[in-house]
Amino acid sequence: MPIERPDTASLVRQRLLANANDVDALFVLAALRVQDGYLEEGLTILDRVLRIDPRYPGAWRFKAKLHRMQGATSAEQSARKRAEDTEK
Amino acid sequence: MKMAPDVVKLKICMAGEGAVGKTSLIRRYVLDQYDDRYVATLGTKITKKSVTVANPFGPDLLQADVILWDIMGTSTVRELLKEAYYHGAQGILAVADLTRRDTLIALDEWARSIRSVAGDIPTFGVVNKADLEKDRALPAAEVEAFFRQRAWPWSYASAKTGAGVDETFVRLVNHVLSNRA
Repeated sequence: MPIERPDTASLVRQRLLANANDVDALFVLAALRVQDGYLEEGLTILDRVLRIDPRYPGAWRFKAKLHRMQGATSAEQSARKRAEDTEK
Repeated sequence: MKMAPDVVKLKICMAGEGAVGKTSLIRRYVLDQYDDRYVATLGTKITKKSVTVANPFGPDLLQADVILWDIMGTSTVRELLKEAYYHGAQGILAVADLTRRDTLIALDEWARSIRSVAGDIPTFGVVNKADLEKDRALPAAEVEAFFRQRAWPWSYASAKTGAGVDETFVRLVNHVLSNRA
């Protein structure tokens, strides 16, 4: 029997309805918002992820990428440094 | 006095389409547990396990602290997140589902994406759900040809029964270690 797989956006909605601080759902929501063209909103959500869990896997790398997309070199470098510290 | 083995840290990325059993393989390997309910992975999950293996470059033993990165199988934002997921990866466990032919073909795209960030890192293939032989959609010859063409060692496993799971991870670690400069 094939496995029913909900789409990512629906899954994120379900998880955030159950727990507004679901860090996995927030991380993916940040990515979905960026993908939809809302970079600033994505960054705001990602910052919330990092407040809840400063060691969330890959979050600092993602933040560095988003700052690079913004052209914010200093913020990108700072996020990359945090990523390297977190990954040690 | 007996010396403690050298310790190496290995970041391994799980690759494979949704519902092939990436999370279940990790759960079986690390906790020796299996849950029949399908819960799609959201975001990133990291699991650590230490294994002691023979040092491929000497007569002694090595302790490998394996960090398994379990990534959601859906493709929606995978490309956007690839640096976040794959930076620093040293090996790939590429998982296909014995009952879904497309999951084998999809491994090329996964490997391409991971290697675009992490470089030409070693890849080990595993065909999961080996317990579902009656629903097999991947002929053995096709599996063999696929992995041989890419020079990826491979195995069959079942997260459900546990068959082949430990062997898969140990062979994966050995493969990654023996490819280290």
